[in-house]
Amino acid sequence: MSDPLQVDRGSSLSAAGARPPFYRDATVVKWLSQVLTLALVLFALIFLASQGRSNLEAKDIETGYDFLGTALGSDLGSGIDTNPNTSGRALWVGMVNTIRLSFGGIIAATVLGVLVGVGRLSRNWIVSRASSVFVETLRNIPLLVQIILIFVVIASLPRVTIDQGPIPGWLHISNKGVSIPRVFVADGFYQWLIFLAIGAAIGWIVMRQRNRVHDETGRATYPVLSFGAVVGVFGVAGWFLHPIFGWVGAIFDFGASVIDALTPGIVQVIISVVAVAAAILWIRRFLASHRTPAGLTKLVDDDWFRIIFAAAGAVLVILFVTLGWPGLSSWIINSGRDLFEVLGDKFGDGRTGPPIDAMRPDIEQVGNFPNYGPSGLNLIQGLAAVYFGVVLYTAAFIAEVVRGGILAVPKGQSEAAQAVGLRRSTMLRRVVLPQAFRVILPPLGNQYLNLTKNTSLAIAIGYSDVVQVGQTVYNQTGKTLEVVSIWMLFYLACSLTISVVVNFFNVRMRIVER
Amino acid sequence: MDDAPGTRGAASAGPAGPVDPAVTDVAAAAAARARPPEETYRSAGEWIRKNLFSSRFNSLLTIAFGLLILFAARGLLNFVFSEERGWDAVRTNLRLIFTHAYPEEQYVRIWVCVGTLVVLTGLSLGLFARRGEGVQLKKISTVMAGVGAAIALGVILREPSVLTGADGAVVRENDDVVRQSFFEAMADRWVWWLAAAVLIVAGVVLRRAVASSKVSISSVPAVEFAVALLAVPVLSAWIYPWGHFAFVDGTFIAEPGRTVAMSTKVPWTVMWLLVVAAMALGRLMRRGFDEQQQQRMRIPLNLLWLGSPFALYWVILRDPHLEWDRVVSVDIPMGVLFGVIGAGVLWMLTRPGIGELGRIIAIVLLGVAAFNWVAAFFGWYSMLQKARLSFLLLALVALAAHNFAGEIVKRRRLVMAWLVLMAIVHYFATLMNAPSTVETPTEALIGGFAVTVIVAVFTIMLSFPLGVLLALARTSRLPIFRVMATSYIEVIRGVPLITILIFFAIILNLFLPVGMEISLIASATLGYTLFSAAYLAENVRGGLQSVRRGQFEASDAVGLSTTQRTVFVVLPQALRVSIPPLVGQMIATFKETSLLAIIGVFDVLRMANSVIPAQTQFLGIKREGLLFVSLVYWVFAYTLSKQSQRLERRLGVGER
Repeated sequence: MSDPLQVDRGSSLSAAGARPPFYRDATVVKWLSQVLTLALVLFALIFLASQGRSNLEAKDIETGYDFLGTALGSDLGSGIDTNPNTSGRALWVGMVNTIRLSFGGIIAATVLGVLVGVGRLSRNWIVSRASSVFVETLRNIPLLVQIILIFVVIASLPRVTIDQGPIPGWLHISNKGVSIPRVFVADGFYQWLIFLAIGAAIGWIVMRQRNRVHDETGRATYPVLSFGAVVGVFGVAGWFLHPIFGWVGAIFDFGASVIDALTPGIVQVIISVVAVAAAILWIRRFLASHRTPAGLTKLVDDDWFRIIFAAAGAVLVILFVTLGWPGLSSWIINSGRDLFEVLGDKFGDGRTGPPIDAMRPDIEQVGNFPNYGPSGLNLIQGLAAVYFGVVLYTAAFIAEVVRGGILAVPKGQSEAAQAVGLRRSTMLRRVVLPQAFRVILPPLGNQYLNLTKNTSLAIAIGYSDVVQVGQTVYNQTGKTLEVVSIWMLFYLACSLTISVVVNFFNVRMRIVER
Repeated sequence: MDDAPGTRGAASAGPAGPVDPAVTDVAAAAAARARPPEETYRSAGEWIRKNLFSSRFNSLLTIAFGLLILFAARGLLNFVFSEERGWDAVRTNLRLIFTHAYPEEQYVRIWVCVGTLVVLTGLSLGLFARRGEGVQLKKISTVMAGVGAAIALGVILREPSVLTGADGAVVRENDDVVRQSFFEAMADRWVWWLAAAVLIVAGVVLRRAVASSKVSISSVPAVEFAVALLAVPVLSAWIYPWGHFAFVDGTFIAEPGRTVAMSTKVPWTVMWLLVVAAMALGRLMRRGFDEQQQQRMRIPLNLLWLGSPFALYWVILRDPHLEWDRVVSVDIPMGVLFGVIGAGVLWMLTRPGIGELGRIIAIVLLGVAAFNWVAAFFGWYSMLQKARLSFLLLALVALAAHNFAGEIVKRRRLVMAWLVLMAIVHYFATLMNAPSTVETPTEALIGGFAVTVIVAVFTIMLSFPLGVLLALARTSRLPIFRVMATSYIEVIRGVPLITILIFFAIILNLFLPVGMEISLIASATLGYTLFSAAYLAENVRGGLQSVRRGQFEASDAVGLSTTQRTVFVVLPQALRVSIPPLVGQMIATFKETSLLAIIGVFDVLRMANSVIPAQTQFLGIKREGLLFVSLVYWVFAYTLSKQSQRLERRLGVGER
């Protein structure tokens, strides 16, 4: 990339016919240095791995992921299952906690960040000053210090008592944290989702049609509003009618039985075929890009190397699947079947309750001490500290992103909008914000990634997120390396998900250049 | 942990598909550029009308926010100045917070370190700080009046003090503390009223004087002004009873009502005098030198800056104990040997007619140097670490030798540089391996804020070359390099820092050969470096992509090799563009050092969160310490970020 020149010294020299000695041949040196570096890195890794293995053996620690199925000797502070029976289940609870924390944090941080960012640009002196102080204070103090400070401050709040509140029954704040009403997914939620999906599909068609009418006639047709109305109608209807979709679960059950019928050998064959097909496709596309109307251009050594590497990659995948880790196929079969069975159950028959339900917080007497009961949404001390910490901290950065994005819209745009007589609100909605959004989106995605990663600081105050649970697990089992690998895979998966979502919008928002 | 738009992670959207970093930088550049033109107002009333009550909605906002801010300020004031606050926990433990267990009788070493840095800063400021970027007197007057008004407001907002009896105990009635009446409290705080009045009057007078142009200057030089301002806290240590704290025969003595201990106020005064003297010296030198000489002064000064962290940490702070027998019989001869032989080899390799042979020799040297390490791993034979390192350095310099071939001046310069390099490397390697004579009760040499700064500085210095290499590899046309660098960068950027730190702090020692062990701080620094390098690489990549195509074509046209093109043409331009995000990365690294507390290093956060609250006198006092630590971090990070914004404006990134 740093080298936009298309001239390739290797090919031009070889075309001239007189090749220099091999140690001066650009192509040879290039590939030799790459292969040597790769070998060096692999050598270092293998050396460290073998060293680690012998060190572990000397300490009588076995490697492997068997510990995921063994019992964990301690409870978790909070989560979907506070008393998991295996280490694997405990890690799963930790992951769910992390995901919930990140998801809620992203929403709150976005709202707060946008408000502060717009506030910083306000013409009202006191608002813009307050926003600046907010940003400059939170941005320049390490997040960990903030989280611990919030944790300590919550601990110094008044003790929880039976009718404590600011608003008893709705909002409780005490040294145990915060408790608010809980809204939760109830019985018929998944069938209701089908209704919503159908509503969204029909609504989208309606919206397109309305947009077309608007473009043709210029009348106000409210396309977004009609989309919302259609989805709303389906949502309301689905609230009562969702049991009619009870048969959907059977489809997933059928899928589960199909996967169950597969044998590991078949899965190995499928993966091998896919790998070979991918390699062949890539090579074909590569060759196609070198094809000109006059025929195939001459392939230089570089191109041959690329083709060889693609083929070697496919062979490596096949070797890995068949020899390196033969258990992979049965793992895929088992987890695939389990997934479909769970889906079959969720969409299954006999779920007649409302899709979403809510409960108000309560305080119950546990022995001598009052404590938050299970029916409210309890942000316990640790959770509240991490949550408010990451939300405030990220909001400060998002505010800067938003401010930068709005300032990046050329002034001429708003002037032009005013010149054609748009109202201020319309101008913001139709002219400034869409352009600002284009600039804001990539760094905003970055902030979402950072927020997700920053929730790992929960370890400092003992909230059971995936890192903290992992620490408990490796303290009990001694499987540090395995736990670290699980962390890395989990966070990589989270990062990947967020960047895929952000990139999806990014591609949609991109200016189509002609 | 993360950073402003365009600072941390220039290219944004992670593994799925990096987005052009130029896009994200637009926002930052625009924010830096967009400074509204200064409006002038005829009167304070007009200012208030235009800025606070311009519309009905704005008036509502103003009132709502005003009330909110008043309540927040009142809460903060009542918290900070409450009689129940244990600020003594912070004041008494200042030494612990900044250096942890460093022995009292060796404290002069720390002052030498601070003094060295202060002198270097003063010299740099004196020599290179720009004139003309002064602080406007008008602004000073506004700030003075504003601070005065804030003090007056604060005095009114703060709740009346608690009444105390003759024995100093709080007077209580029905379990509630008894407070002064409002007017009593206001009268009691006459000192604050006086301060507020003086500041407001001074501000207004200054403003009038500037407006009526009685004062001929409109601004004062910023650097001198800042240094002069620093004199205020230093002087106050001699006058105001901040509290007297001292160690006498190992026991701690704290007398809150007296002026600061001699052991603190004398060194700080010396430090202030040093910075003034160094600045004056710098200014004198600047006046005496012409432009070219000034530029030449940059090189030794920058070298001093680069070398000072190593010298201060390994030599001054550790006070290594040298076994002179071994130094004379092994270390010095080895250094001389490598210096002389290396010089001879390089002199030969830069002979004008050497041609291909030079490269072959260099490559053979590199092979032997690499083999030395491999052999040591497998235990076939092993030389001293120092010798292996010198050998490798020689091979690397030999590879670059052909660039210096030909003229006798260039050849001599290369040989001189080699000798200096060997002297420095052997000097530090010897001292690093020598045991420290400074005895501390804990495993680590130093803790508290000092360890934060040390880890941050070494991380920044070490991750820079690694990050540049990674960025070059990622933008390279060579696919294996590119794939390796890309996957490294994306994996590191995809996982939280704490998992990497835990890996290095706990697991790394499992993977090392038996008998080799890395200390906690060293392995943490390694983890920080590898983490930070990935982010740094993305910033540098943004810079690399901004280098114009014509630059590449031009360097090819004049016949530069790929290495020459990269080092002399591309990198200087790319790095200049990426300076602002690099500074942002530095700030992020500085803040991230707080994670040291999680892996068990006694850093400044751990002091406030676990060490001080465990002392019997200050049991459970956490909030005060944490607030103080936040303040320390804030001051450093805020100053750095303001400086980086100034730098950004000066470099004019995105405008040229």
